[in-house]
Amino acid sequence: MDKYEKLEKVGEGTYGKVYKAQDKTTGQLVALKKTRLEMDEEGVPPTALREIALLQMLSQSLYLVRLLCVEHVDNKNGKPLLYLVFEYLDTDLKKFIDSHRKGPNPSPLAPTLIQSFLYQLCKGVAHCHSHSVLHRDLKPQNLLVDKDKGILKIADLGLGRAFTVPLKSYTHEIVTLWYRAPEVLLGSTHYSTGVDMWSVGCIFAEMVRRQALFPGDSELQQLLHIFRLLGTPSEDQWPGVSSLRDWHEYPQWKPQNLARAVPNLEPEGVDLLSKMLQYDPASRISAKAALDHPYFDSLDKSQY
Amino acid sequence: MAANFWASSHYKQLMEQEEVDVVHSPDKEKGLTLDEFKLIKMHMANYIAKLAQSVKVRQRVVATAVTYMRRVYTRKSMSEYDPRLVAPTCLYLASKAEESTVQARLLVFYIKKQYNDEKYRYEIKDILEMEMKILEALNYYLVVYHPYRPLSQLLQDAGMTEMTQLSWGLVNDTYKMDLILIYSPYMIALACIYIATVLKEKDTTAWFEELRVDMNVVKNISMEILDFYDSQKILNEERISAAINKLALKP
Repeated sequence: MDKYEKLEKVGEGTYGKVYKAQDKTTGQLVALKKTRLEMDEEGVPPTALREIALLQMLSQSLYLVRLLCVEHVDNKNGKPLLYLVFEYLDTDLKKFIDSHRKGPNPSPLAPTLIQSFLYQLCKGVAHCHSHSVLHRDLKPQNLLVDKDKGILKIADLGLGRAFTVPLKSYTHEIVTLWYRAPEVLLGSTHYSTGVDMWSVGCIFAEMVRRQALFPGDSELQQLLHIFRLLGTPSEDQWPGVSSLRDWHEYPQWKPQNLARAVPNLEPEGVDLLSKMLQYDPASRISAKAALDHPYFDSLDKSQY
Repeated sequence: MAANFWASSHYKQLMEQEEVDVVHSPDKEKGLTLDEFKLIKMHMANYIAKLAQSVKVRQRVVATAVTYMRRVYTRKSMSEYDPRLVAPTCLYLASKAEESTVQARLLVFYIKKQYNDEKYRYEIKDILEMEMKILEALNYYLVVYHPYRPLSQLLQDAGMTEMTQLSWGLVNDTYKMDLILIYSPYMIALACIYIATVLKEKDTTAWFEELRVDMNVVKNISMEILDFYDSQKILNEERISAAINKLALKP
Protein backbone atom coordinates (compact mmCIF):
# COMPACT_ATOMS: atom_id res chain seq x y z
CA MET A 1 0.00 0.00 0.00
CA ASP A 2 3.02 2.26 0.30
CA LYS A 3 2.74 2.46 -3.45
CA TYR A 4 -0.15 4.89 -3.06
CA GLU A 5 -0.45 8.27 -1.49
CA LYS A 6 -3.92 9.00 -0.13
CA LEU A 7 -4.98 12.43 -1.35
CA GLU A 8 -8.48 12.89 0.04
CA LYS A 9 -11.54 11.04 1.13
CA VAL A 10 -13.93 11.18 -1.80
CA GLY A 11 -16.82 9.28 -0.41
CA GLU A 12 -18.45 6.93 1.94
CA GLY A 13 -19.49 4.01 -0.18
CA THR A 14 -22.17 1.77 1.14
CA TYR A 15 -19.49 -0.72 2.08
CA GLY A 16 -16.61 1.47 3.21
CA LYS A 17 -14.59 4.60 2.79
CA VAL A 18 -13.28 5.57 -0.60
CA TYR A 19 -10.09 7.57 -1.04
CA LYS A 20 -8.66 9.35 -4.00
CA ALA A 21 -5.03 8.33 -4.15
CA GLN A 22 -2.06 8.52 -6.41
CA ASP A 23 0.29 5.79 -7.51
CA LYS A 24 3.64 7.21 -6.40
CA THR A 25 5.61 5.66 -9.23
CA THR A 26 3.30 6.16 -12.20
CA GLY A 27 1.38 9.21 -10.99
CA GLN A 28 -1.86 7.49 -11.95
CA LEU A 29 -4.90 8.56 -9.95
CA VAL A 30 -6.86 5.73 -8.39
CA ALA A 31 -9.82 5.23 -6.09
CA LEU A 32 -8.95 3.10 -3.07
CA LYS A 33 -11.64 1.16 -1.34
CA LYS A 34 -10.95 -0.56 1.90
CA THR A 35 -13.13 -3.59 2.29
CA ARG A 36 -14.32 -4.63 5.67
CA LEU A 37 -13.71 -8.17 4.62
CA GLU A 38 -11.13 -9.18 7.14
CA MET A 39 -9.47 -12.50 7.01
CA ASP A 40 -9.99 -15.11 9.65
CA GLU A 41 -8.55 -18.51 10.52
CA GLU A 42 -9.77 -19.80 7.16
CA GLY A 43 -7.96 -17.20 5.07
CA VAL A 44 -9.86 -14.98 2.67
CA PRO A 45 -13.62 -15.34 3.31
CA PRO A 46 -15.25 -17.17 0.39
CA THR A 47 -17.91 -14.48 -0.08
CA ALA A 48 -15.23 -11.81 -0.46
CA LEU A 49 -13.30 -14.02 -2.79
CA ARG A 50 -16.26 -14.61 -5.06
CA GLU A 51 -17.20 -10.96 -5.10
CA ILE A 52 -13.72 -9.87 -6.02
CA ALA A 53 -13.52 -12.53 -8.70
CA LEU A 54 -16.83 -11.38 -10.11
CA LEU A 55 -15.76 -7.77 -10.01
CA GLN A 56 -12.51 -8.65 -11.69
CA MET A 57 -14.42 -10.46 -14.41
CA LEU A 58 -17.11 -7.82 -14.95
CA SER A 59 -14.77 -4.86 -14.87
CA GLN A 60 -13.47 -5.90 -18.27
CA SER A 61 -16.34 -3.85 -19.70
CA LEU A 62 -15.72 -0.26 -20.72
CA TYR A 63 -18.93 0.74 -19.02
CA LEU A 64 -17.93 -0.46 -15.60
CA VAL A 65 -15.33 1.11 -13.40
CA ARG A 66 -12.19 -0.91 -13.84
CA LEU A 67 -10.73 -2.82 -10.92
CA LEU A 68 -7.01 -2.24 -11.41
CA CYS A 69 -5.77 -4.54 -8.72
CA VAL A 70 -6.30 -5.82 -5.24
CA GLU A 71 -3.77 -4.99 -2.54
CA HIS A 72 -3.48 -6.78 0.70
CA VAL A 73 -2.00 -5.16 3.78
CA ASP A 74 -1.71 -6.06 7.41
CA ASN A 75 -3.58 -3.76 9.78
CA LYS A 76 -2.40 -2.65 13.23
CA ASN A 77 -3.31 -5.97 14.79
CA GLY A 78 -1.36 -7.83 12.14
CA LYS A 79 -4.55 -8.95 10.43
CA PRO A 80 -4.57 -8.82 6.67
CA LEU A 81 -7.01 -6.47 4.97
CA LEU A 82 -7.94 -6.13 1.34
CA TYR A 83 -7.95 -2.89 -0.61
CA LEU A 84 -9.60 -2.66 -3.98
CA VAL A 85 -7.86 -0.29 -6.37
CA PHE A 86 -10.11 1.22 -9.03
CA GLU A 87 -9.51 3.64 -11.86
CA TYR A 88 -10.35 7.17 -10.83
CA LEU A 89 -12.90 9.38 -12.57
CA ASP A 90 -13.23 13.02 -11.62
CA THR A 91 -16.91 13.23 -10.87
CA ASP A 92 -20.17 11.34 -10.56
CA LEU A 93 -23.54 11.85 -12.15
CA LYS A 94 -25.05 13.32 -8.98
CA LYS A 95 -22.43 16.06 -8.79
CA PHE A 96 -22.66 16.52 -12.53
CA ILE A 97 -26.43 17.05 -12.44
CA ASP A 98 -26.06 19.31 -9.37
CA SER A 99 -23.60 21.50 -11.25
CA HIS A 100 -26.19 21.95 -13.97
CA ARG A 101 -28.86 22.88 -11.47
CA LYS A 102 -27.07 25.02 -8.91
CA GLY A 103 -23.78 26.39 -10.27
CA PRO A 104 -23.35 29.93 -11.57
CA ASN A 105 -24.92 29.12 -14.95
CA PRO A 106 -27.67 26.56 -14.44
CA SER A 107 -28.66 24.90 -17.70
CA PRO A 108 -30.28 21.64 -18.75
CA LEU A 109 -28.10 18.72 -19.77
CA ALA A 110 -27.80 18.59 -23.54
CA PRO A 111 -30.28 16.07 -25.01
CA THR A 112 -27.48 14.31 -26.90
CA LEU A 113 -25.48 13.95 -23.69
CA ILE A 114 -28.47 12.45 -21.87
CA GLN A 115 -28.91 10.05 -24.75
CA SER A 116 -25.24 9.07 -24.70
CA PHE A 117 -25.09 8.67 -20.90
CA LEU A 118 -28.24 6.54 -20.91
CA TYR A 119 -26.84 4.38 -23.70
CA GLN A 120 -23.61 3.78 -21.79
CA LEU A 121 -25.59 3.02 -18.64
CA CYS A 122 -27.72 0.46 -20.48
CA LYS A 123 -24.56 -1.08 -21.98
CA GLY A 124 -23.06 -1.52 -18.53
CA VAL A 125 -26.26 -2.89 -17.03
CA ALA A 126 -26.67 -5.30 -19.96
CA HIS A 127 -23.12 -6.52 -19.35
CA CYS A 128 -23.84 -7.23 -15.68
CA HIS A 129 -27.11 -8.93 -16.46
CA SER A 130 -25.54 -11.13 -19.13
CA HIS A 131 -23.35 -12.49 -16.32
CA SER A 132 -26.40 -12.93 -14.07
CA VAL A 133 -25.22 -10.19 -11.76
CA LEU A 134 -27.60 -7.59 -10.39
CA HIS A 135 -26.27 -4.25 -9.28
CA ARG A 136 -29.24 -3.50 -7.02
CA ASP A 137 -28.06 -0.08 -5.96
CA LEU A 138 -27.87 1.98 -9.13
CA LYS A 139 -28.07 5.71 -8.44
CA PRO A 140 -26.41 8.85 -9.79
CA GLN A 141 -23.76 8.73 -7.02
CA ASN A 142 -22.72 5.30 -8.27
CA LEU A 143 -22.28 6.42 -11.85
CA LEU A 144 -18.87 7.94 -12.42
CA VAL A 145 -18.45 10.52 -15.11
CA ASP A 146 -15.55 11.83 -17.12
CA LYS A 147 -16.88 15.24 -18.11
CA ASP A 148 -14.36 15.96 -20.84
CA LYS A 149 -14.67 12.66 -22.62
CA GLY A 150 -18.41 12.27 -22.02
CA ILE A 151 -17.87 8.87 -20.46
CA LEU A 152 -20.14 7.25 -17.88
CA LYS A 153 -19.25 4.13 -15.92
CA ILE A 154 -21.04 2.05 -13.32
CA ALA A 155 -19.30 1.79 -9.95
CA ASP A 156 -19.87 0.17 -6.58
CA LEU A 157 -20.75 -3.10 -8.12
CA GLY A 158 -20.30 -6.64 -6.96
CA LEU A 159 -20.07 -6.24 -3.26
CA GLY A 160 -23.79 -5.67 -3.42
CA ARG A 161 -24.45 -9.26 -4.26
CA ALA A 162 -23.18 -11.02 -1.19
CA PHE A 163 -25.24 -8.90 1.12
CA THR A 164 -28.74 -7.59 1.04
CA VAL A 165 -28.79 -3.89 0.28
CA PRO A 166 -29.08 -2.34 3.72
CA LEU A 167 -31.26 0.58 4.73
CA LYS A 168 -28.35 2.17 6.49
CA SER A 169 -24.74 1.92 5.46
CA TYR A 170 -22.21 0.96 8.08
CA THR A 171 -21.41 4.63 8.55
CA HIS A 172 -25.09 5.18 9.35
CA GLU A 173 -25.62 7.17 6.25
CA ILE A 174 -29.15 6.61 5.05
CA VAL A 175 -29.23 4.62 1.88
CA THR A 176 -31.36 6.39 -0.66
CA LEU A 177 -34.68 4.84 -1.64
CA TRP A 178 -35.31 7.07 -4.62
CA TYR A 179 -34.20 4.53 -7.22
CA ARG A 180 -35.65 1.48 -5.58
CA ALA A 181 -38.11 -0.59 -7.62
CA PRO A 182 -41.67 -0.99 -6.34
CA GLU A 183 -41.33 -4.77 -5.99
CA VAL A 184 -38.39 -4.26 -3.61
CA LEU A 185 -40.31 -1.64 -1.65
CA LEU A 186 -43.24 -4.03 -1.42
CA GLY A 187 -41.06 -6.76 0.05
CA SER A 188 -40.75 -9.09 -2.92
CA THR A 189 -38.03 -11.65 -2.29
CA HIS A 190 -37.56 -12.99 -5.80
CA TYR A 191 -36.65 -9.85 -7.60
CA SER A 192 -34.52 -9.89 -10.71
CA THR A 193 -32.91 -7.73 -13.40
CA GLY A 194 -36.00 -5.52 -13.46
CA VAL A 195 -34.89 -3.80 -10.24
CA ASP A 196 -31.90 -2.34 -12.06
CA MET A 197 -34.00 -1.23 -15.01
CA TRP A 198 -36.36 0.63 -12.70
CA SER A 199 -33.36 2.50 -11.31
CA VAL A 200 -32.14 3.23 -14.84
CA GLY A 201 -35.55 4.75 -15.60
CA CYS A 202 -35.40 6.96 -12.49
CA ILE A 203 -31.89 8.09 -13.41
CA PHE A 204 -32.97 8.81 -17.00
CA ALA A 205 -35.80 11.03 -15.76
CA GLU A 206 -33.47 12.74 -13.31
CA MET A 207 -31.02 13.69 -16.04
CA VAL A 208 -33.87 15.36 -17.92
CA ARG A 209 -35.43 17.04 -14.87
CA ARG A 210 -32.23 17.79 -12.96
CA GLN A 211 -34.07 16.62 -9.89
CA ALA A 212 -35.14 13.23 -8.63
CA LEU A 213 -38.31 11.72 -10.05
CA PHE A 214 -39.41 10.01 -6.83
CA PRO A 215 -37.70 11.65 -3.81
CA GLY A 216 -39.23 9.63 -0.99
CA ASP A 217 -37.84 9.73 2.54
CA SER A 218 -39.35 6.50 3.83
CA GLU A 219 -40.41 3.29 2.17
CA LEU A 220 -44.09 4.28 2.37
CA GLN A 221 -43.43 7.80 1.10
CA GLN A 222 -41.39 6.32 -1.70
CA LEU A 223 -44.27 4.11 -2.81
CA LEU A 224 -46.74 7.00 -2.60
CA HIS A 225 -44.49 9.15 -4.81
CA ILE A 226 -44.50 6.41 -7.41
CA PHE A 227 -48.25 5.77 -7.17
CA ARG A 228 -49.09 9.46 -7.50
CA LEU A 229 -47.32 9.67 -10.85
CA LEU A 230 -47.92 6.22 -12.32
CA GLY A 231 -51.24 5.45 -10.63
CA THR A 232 -51.84 2.91 -7.86
CA PRO A 233 -50.97 -0.49 -9.39
CA SER A 234 -53.76 -2.99 -9.91
CA GLU A 235 -53.80 -6.77 -10.23
CA ASP A 236 -54.58 -6.31 -13.93
CA GLN A 237 -51.47 -4.27 -14.51
CA TRP A 238 -49.26 -6.26 -12.23
CA PRO A 239 -50.47 -9.77 -11.48
CA GLY A 240 -49.60 -10.80 -7.92
CA VAL A 241 -48.97 -7.31 -6.58
CA SER A 242 -51.59 -7.55 -3.84
CA SER A 243 -50.03 -10.73 -2.45
CA LEU A 244 -46.59 -9.16 -1.95
CA ARG A 245 -45.43 -9.12 1.68
CA ASP A 246 -45.74 -5.40 2.32
CA TRP A 247 -48.80 -4.69 0.20
CA HIS A 248 -51.56 -2.70 1.89
CA GLU A 249 -54.64 -0.94 0.68
CA TYR A 250 -53.41 2.34 -0.74
CA PRO A 251 -55.28 5.42 -1.89
CA GLN A 252 -56.35 4.99 -5.51
CA TRP A 253 -54.49 7.39 -7.76
CA LYS A 254 -54.98 7.63 -11.50
CA PRO A 255 -51.86 7.57 -13.70
CA GLN A 256 -50.64 11.01 -14.74
CA ASN A 257 -49.20 11.92 -18.10
CA LEU A 258 -45.57 10.82 -17.83
CA ALA A 259 -44.45 13.31 -20.48
CA ARG A 260 -45.33 16.15 -18.12
CA ALA A 261 -42.90 14.87 -15.54
CA VAL A 262 -40.08 15.06 -18.07
CA PRO A 263 -40.61 18.31 -19.96
CA ASN A 264 -38.48 18.69 -23.07
CA LEU A 265 -37.91 14.97 -23.46
CA GLU A 266 -38.72 13.89 -26.98
CA PRO A 267 -41.62 11.40 -27.46
CA GLU A 268 -39.29 8.44 -28.17
CA GLY A 269 -37.56 9.15 -24.87
CA VAL A 270 -40.86 9.26 -23.01
CA ASP A 271 -41.79 5.92 -24.58
CA LEU A 272 -38.54 4.32 -23.46
CA LEU A 273 -38.94 5.79 -19.98
CA SER A 274 -42.46 4.41 -19.70
CA LYS A 275 -41.14 0.95 -20.62
CA MET A 276 -38.51 1.18 -17.88
CA LEU A 277 -41.11 2.23 -15.34
CA GLN A 278 -43.54 -0.64 -15.98
CA TYR A 279 -44.99 -1.89 -12.71
CA ASP A 280 -44.86 -5.57 -13.57
CA PRO A 281 -41.14 -6.46 -13.46
CA ALA A 282 -41.78 -9.14 -16.08
CA SER A 283 -42.95 -6.60 -18.64
CA ARG A 284 -40.27 -4.01 -17.85
CA ILE A 285 -37.85 -3.52 -20.76
CA SER A 286 -34.50 -5.31 -20.48
CA ALA A 287 -31.20 -3.48 -20.79
CA LYS A 288 -30.41 -5.32 -24.00
CA ALA A 289 -33.77 -4.44 -25.55
CA ALA A 290 -33.43 -0.84 -24.40
CA LEU A 291 -30.25 -0.51 -26.48
CA ASP A 292 -32.33 -1.18 -29.60
CA HIS A 293 -35.10 1.27 -28.70
CA PRO A 294 -35.85 3.96 -31.33
CA TYR A 295 -34.80 6.63 -28.80
CA PHE A 296 -31.22 5.68 -29.61
CA ASP A 297 -31.72 5.69 -33.40
CA SER A 298 -30.17 9.13 -33.72
CA LEU A 299 -27.11 8.09 -31.72
CA ASP A 300 -23.90 7.14 -33.49
CA LYS A 301 -23.60 3.67 -31.97
CA SER A 302 -20.33 2.91 -33.73
CA GLN A 303 -18.40 4.83 -31.12
CA TYR A 304 -19.60 2.62 -28.26
CA MET B 1 -20.26 -19.04 -11.54
CA ALA B 2 -21.20 -17.14 -14.64
CA ALA B 3 -22.45 -18.01 -18.04
CA ASN B 4 -20.72 -16.06 -20.73
CA PHE B 5 -17.29 -17.38 -21.68
CA TRP B 6 -16.65 -15.09 -24.64
CA ALA B 7 -17.05 -11.98 -22.50
CA SER B 8 -15.03 -13.43 -19.66
CA SER B 9 -11.57 -12.80 -18.34
CA HIS B 10 -10.85 -16.48 -19.00
CA TYR B 11 -11.29 -15.92 -22.73
CA LYS B 12 -9.00 -12.91 -22.67
CA GLN B 13 -6.39 -14.93 -20.81
CA LEU B 14 -6.03 -17.71 -23.35
CA MET B 15 -2.37 -18.16 -24.23
CA GLU B 16 -0.25 -19.63 -27.00
CA GLN B 17 1.36 -23.02 -26.49
CA GLU B 18 4.83 -21.42 -26.69
CA GLU B 19 3.95 -19.02 -23.89
CA VAL B 20 2.76 -21.84 -21.66
CA ASP B 21 5.82 -23.97 -22.40
CA VAL B 22 8.29 -21.66 -20.72
CA VAL B 23 10.50 -23.07 -17.99
CA HIS B 24 11.25 -20.09 -15.74
CA SER B 25 14.90 -19.28 -15.30
CA PRO B 26 15.29 -20.25 -11.61
CA ASP B 27 14.02 -23.73 -12.57
CA LYS B 28 16.10 -23.85 -15.73
CA GLU B 29 19.21 -23.08 -13.72
CA LYS B 30 18.49 -26.16 -11.68
CA GLY B 31 18.44 -28.20 -14.85
CA LEU B 32 14.66 -28.66 -15.14
CA THR B 33 13.71 -29.52 -18.72
CA LEU B 34 10.44 -28.68 -20.45
CA ASP B 35 9.40 -32.33 -20.32
CA GLU B 36 10.05 -32.47 -16.61
CA PHE B 37 8.18 -29.20 -16.08
CA LYS B 38 5.14 -30.70 -17.81
CA LEU B 39 5.57 -33.92 -15.90
CA ILE B 40 5.48 -32.17 -12.54
CA LYS B 41 2.38 -30.23 -13.52
CA MET B 42 0.71 -33.46 -14.55
CA HIS B 43 1.70 -35.12 -11.32
CA MET B 44 0.30 -32.18 -9.37
CA ALA B 45 -2.95 -32.37 -11.33
CA ASN B 46 -3.19 -36.00 -10.23
CA TYR B 47 -2.33 -35.01 -6.67
CA ILE B 48 -5.13 -32.44 -6.67
CA ALA B 49 -7.59 -35.00 -8.02
CA LYS B 50 -6.61 -37.54 -5.35
CA LEU B 51 -6.90 -35.01 -2.55
CA ALA B 52 -10.25 -33.88 -3.91
CA GLN B 53 -11.53 -37.43 -3.69
CA SER B 54 -10.64 -37.59 0.00
CA VAL B 55 -12.29 -34.30 0.86
CA LYS B 56 -15.20 -35.08 -1.47
CA VAL B 57 -15.54 -32.14 -3.80
CA ARG B 58 -16.98 -32.11 -7.29
CA GLN B 59 -14.97 -32.62 -10.47
CA ARG B 60 -15.59 -28.98 -11.30
CA VAL B 61 -13.59 -27.90 -8.25
CA VAL B 62 -10.73 -30.18 -9.32
CA ALA B 63 -10.81 -28.68 -12.80
CA THR B 64 -10.72 -25.13 -11.43
CA ALA B 65 -7.90 -25.99 -9.01
CA VAL B 66 -5.79 -27.54 -11.75
CA THR B 67 -6.39 -24.51 -13.96
CA TYR B 68 -5.21 -22.21 -11.16
CA MET B 69 -2.10 -24.34 -10.65
CA ARG B 70 -1.27 -24.27 -14.36
CA ARG B 71 -1.84 -20.54 -14.55
CA VAL B 72 0.44 -19.95 -11.57
CA TYR B 73 3.26 -21.71 -13.40
CA THR B 74 2.87 -19.55 -16.48
CA ARG B 75 4.00 -16.70 -14.20
CA LYS B 76 5.98 -18.16 -11.33
CA SER B 77 8.80 -20.64 -11.02
CA MET B 78 8.52 -23.91 -9.19
CA SER B 79 11.62 -23.02 -7.23
CA GLU B 80 9.80 -20.09 -5.65
CA TYR B 81 6.39 -21.72 -5.54
CA ASP B 82 6.78 -25.29 -4.35
CA PRO B 83 4.32 -27.40 -6.36
CA ARG B 84 3.72 -29.59 -3.32
CA LEU B 85 2.26 -26.59 -1.53
CA VAL B 86 0.74 -24.87 -4.58
CA ALA B 87 -1.32 -27.93 -5.52
CA PRO B 88 -3.29 -28.32 -2.26
CA THR B 89 -3.61 -24.54 -1.92
CA CYS B 90 -5.14 -24.30 -5.38
CA LEU B 91 -7.66 -26.93 -4.34
CA TYR B 92 -8.39 -24.92 -1.19
CA LEU B 93 -8.88 -21.74 -3.20
CA ALA B 94 -10.97 -23.44 -5.88
CA SER B 95 -13.24 -24.95 -3.24
CA LYS B 96 -13.97 -21.43 -2.00
CA ALA B 97 -14.46 -19.97 -5.45
CA GLU B 98 -16.77 -22.81 -6.47
CA GLU B 99 -18.88 -22.49 -3.34
CA SER B 100 -17.97 -25.76 -1.69
CA THR B 101 -15.40 -24.66 0.84
CA VAL B 102 -13.12 -27.28 2.31
CA GLN B 103 -11.53 -26.53 5.65
CA ALA B 104 -7.77 -26.11 5.58
CA ARG B 105 -7.28 -28.51 8.49
CA LEU B 106 -9.13 -31.22 6.61
CA LEU B 107 -6.79 -30.80 3.66
CA VAL B 108 -3.76 -30.93 5.91
CA PHE B 109 -5.10 -34.11 7.49
CA TYR B 110 -5.48 -35.87 4.15
CA ILE B 111 -2.16 -34.64 2.83
CA LYS B 112 -0.48 -36.33 5.78
CA LYS B 113 -2.53 -39.45 5.24
CA GLN B 114 -1.64 -39.65 1.57
CA TYR B 115 2.04 -38.94 1.73
CA ASN B 116 4.56 -40.26 4.17
CA ASP B 117 7.10 -38.12 2.38
CA GLU B 118 8.06 -35.22 4.62
CA LYS B 119 8.38 -32.95 1.63
CA TYR B 120 4.66 -33.01 0.98
CA ARG B 121 3.79 -32.08 4.52
CA TYR B 122 2.61 -28.56 4.95
CA GLU B 123 0.65 -26.97 7.76
CA ILE B 124 -2.47 -24.78 7.77
CA LYS B 125 -0.47 -21.58 8.09
CA ASP B 126 1.59 -22.51 5.03
CA ILE B 127 -1.58 -22.99 3.01
CA LEU B 128 -3.06 -19.68 4.15
CA GLU B 129 0.15 -17.86 3.31
CA MET B 130 0.34 -19.48 -0.08
CA GLU B 131 -3.33 -18.67 -0.69
CA MET B 132 -2.52 -14.97 -0.63
CA LYS B 133 0.49 -15.45 -2.91
CA ILE B 134 -1.54 -17.45 -5.40
CA LEU B 135 -4.35 -14.89 -5.41
CA GLU B 136 -1.77 -12.31 -6.32
CA ALA B 137 -0.14 -14.51 -8.94
CA LEU B 138 -3.58 -15.03 -10.48
CA ASN B 139 -4.30 -11.35 -10.12
CA TYR B 140 -7.63 -12.35 -8.57
CA TYR B 141 -8.93 -13.76 -11.84
CA LEU B 142 -10.75 -16.71 -10.39
CA VAL B 143 -13.62 -17.37 -12.74
CA VAL B 144 -12.80 -20.35 -14.93
CA TYR B 145 -14.92 -21.95 -17.62
CA HIS B 146 -14.74 -25.66 -18.26
CA PRO B 147 -15.67 -27.97 -21.14
CA TYR B 148 -18.24 -29.88 -19.07
CA ARG B 149 -21.23 -27.65 -19.72
CA PRO B 150 -20.66 -27.23 -23.48
CA LEU B 151 -20.00 -30.98 -23.60
CA SER B 152 -23.43 -31.84 -22.21
CA GLN B 153 -25.13 -29.29 -24.43
CA LEU B 154 -23.34 -30.48 -27.56
CA LEU B 155 -24.05 -34.15 -26.90
CA GLN B 156 -27.69 -33.32 -26.30
CA ASP B 157 -27.77 -31.36 -29.52
CA ALA B 158 -26.18 -34.21 -31.46
CA GLY B 159 -28.50 -36.76 -29.88
CA MET B 160 -25.47 -38.70 -28.65
CA THR B 161 -25.98 -38.65 -24.91
CA GLU B 162 -24.81 -42.28 -24.81
CA MET B 163 -21.31 -40.88 -25.43
CA THR B 164 -21.41 -38.84 -22.24
CA GLN B 165 -19.39 -41.16 -20.04
CA LEU B 166 -16.57 -41.71 -22.50
CA SER B 167 -16.22 -38.08 -23.56
CA TRP B 168 -16.58 -36.85 -19.97
CA GLY B 169 -13.66 -39.06 -18.99
CA LEU B 170 -11.65 -37.64 -21.87
CA VAL B 171 -12.39 -34.12 -20.67
CA ASN B 172 -11.17 -35.07 -17.19
CA ASP B 173 -7.92 -36.27 -18.72
CA THR B 174 -7.38 -33.01 -20.61
CA TYR B 175 -6.53 -31.40 -17.27
CA LYS B 176 -3.36 -33.47 -17.22
CA MET B 177 -2.28 -31.18 -20.04
CA ASP B 178 -2.25 -27.42 -20.46
CA LEU B 179 -5.12 -27.39 -22.99
CA ILE B 180 -7.42 -25.33 -20.72
CA LEU B 181 -4.91 -22.46 -20.84
CA ILE B 182 -4.73 -22.51 -24.61
CA TYR B 183 -8.11 -23.43 -26.10
CA SER B 184 -11.68 -22.42 -25.38
CA PRO B 185 -13.63 -24.95 -23.31
CA TYR B 186 -16.05 -25.29 -26.22
CA MET B 187 -13.31 -26.45 -28.58
CA ILE B 188 -11.90 -28.84 -25.99
CA ALA B 189 -15.37 -30.34 -25.55
CA LEU B 190 -15.66 -30.78 -29.31
CA ALA B 191 -12.27 -32.48 -29.51
CA CYS B 192 -13.29 -34.93 -26.80
CA ILE B 193 -16.52 -35.69 -28.63
CA TYR B 194 -14.56 -36.13 -31.83
CA ILE B 195 -12.21 -38.69 -30.25
CA ALA B 196 -15.11 -40.50 -28.62
CA THR B 197 -17.03 -40.80 -31.88
CA VAL B 198 -13.95 -42.01 -33.74
CA LEU B 199 -13.34 -44.64 -31.06
CA LYS B 200 -16.95 -45.77 -31.28
CA GLU B 201 -16.85 -45.58 -35.08
CA LYS B 202 -19.74 -43.17 -35.32
CA ASP B 203 -20.06 -40.97 -38.37
CA THR B 204 -20.58 -37.42 -37.25
CA THR B 205 -19.17 -35.55 -40.23
CA ALA B 206 -22.49 -33.92 -41.06
CA TRP B 207 -23.06 -32.79 -37.49
CA PHE B 208 -19.59 -31.25 -37.20
CA GLU B 209 -20.08 -29.52 -40.55
CA GLU B 210 -23.26 -27.90 -39.34
CA LEU B 211 -21.47 -26.47 -36.33
CA ARG B 212 -19.25 -24.43 -38.63
CA VAL B 213 -16.25 -24.66 -36.37
CA ASP B 214 -12.66 -24.80 -37.47
CA MET B 215 -12.20 -28.57 -37.75
CA ASN B 216 -8.45 -28.14 -37.98
CA VAL B 217 -8.40 -26.82 -34.45
CA VAL B 218 -10.66 -29.63 -33.24
CA LYS B 219 -8.40 -32.20 -34.89
CA ASN B 220 -5.24 -30.58 -33.54
CA ILE B 221 -6.58 -30.71 -30.01
CA SER B 222 -7.61 -34.32 -30.55
CA MET B 223 -4.10 -35.19 -31.77
CA GLU B 224 -2.60 -33.58 -28.72
CA ILE B 225 -4.82 -35.62 -26.46
CA LEU B 226 -3.96 -38.86 -28.29
CA ASP B 227 -0.24 -38.04 -28.25
CA PHE B 228 -0.54 -37.49 -24.55
CA TYR B 229 -2.07 -40.92 -24.01
CA ASP B 230 0.83 -42.42 -25.98
CA SER B 231 3.43 -40.64 -23.90
CA GLN B 232 1.73 -41.77 -20.70
CA LYS B 233 2.75 -45.36 -21.38
CA ILE B 234 6.35 -44.59 -20.56
CA LEU B 235 5.59 -42.75 -17.36
CA ASN B 236 6.74 -43.83 -13.99
CA GLU B 237 7.06 -42.60 -10.46
CA GLU B 238 10.84 -42.42 -10.60
CA ARG B 239 10.84 -39.92 -13.41
CA ILE B 240 8.47 -37.76 -11.44
CA SER B 241 10.49 -37.76 -8.24
CA ALA B 242 13.70 -37.26 -10.19
CA ALA B 243 12.19 -34.14 -11.74
CA ILE B 244 10.91 -32.77 -8.45
CA ASN B 245 14.20 -33.51 -6.73
CA LYS B 246 15.98 -31.30 -9.21
CA LEU B 247 14.14 -28.37 -7.69
CA ALA B 248 15.44 -29.33 -4.23
CA LEU B 249 12.97 -27.15 -2.43
CA LYS B 250 12.18 -28.07 1.11
CA PRO B 251 15.12 -29.58 3.01
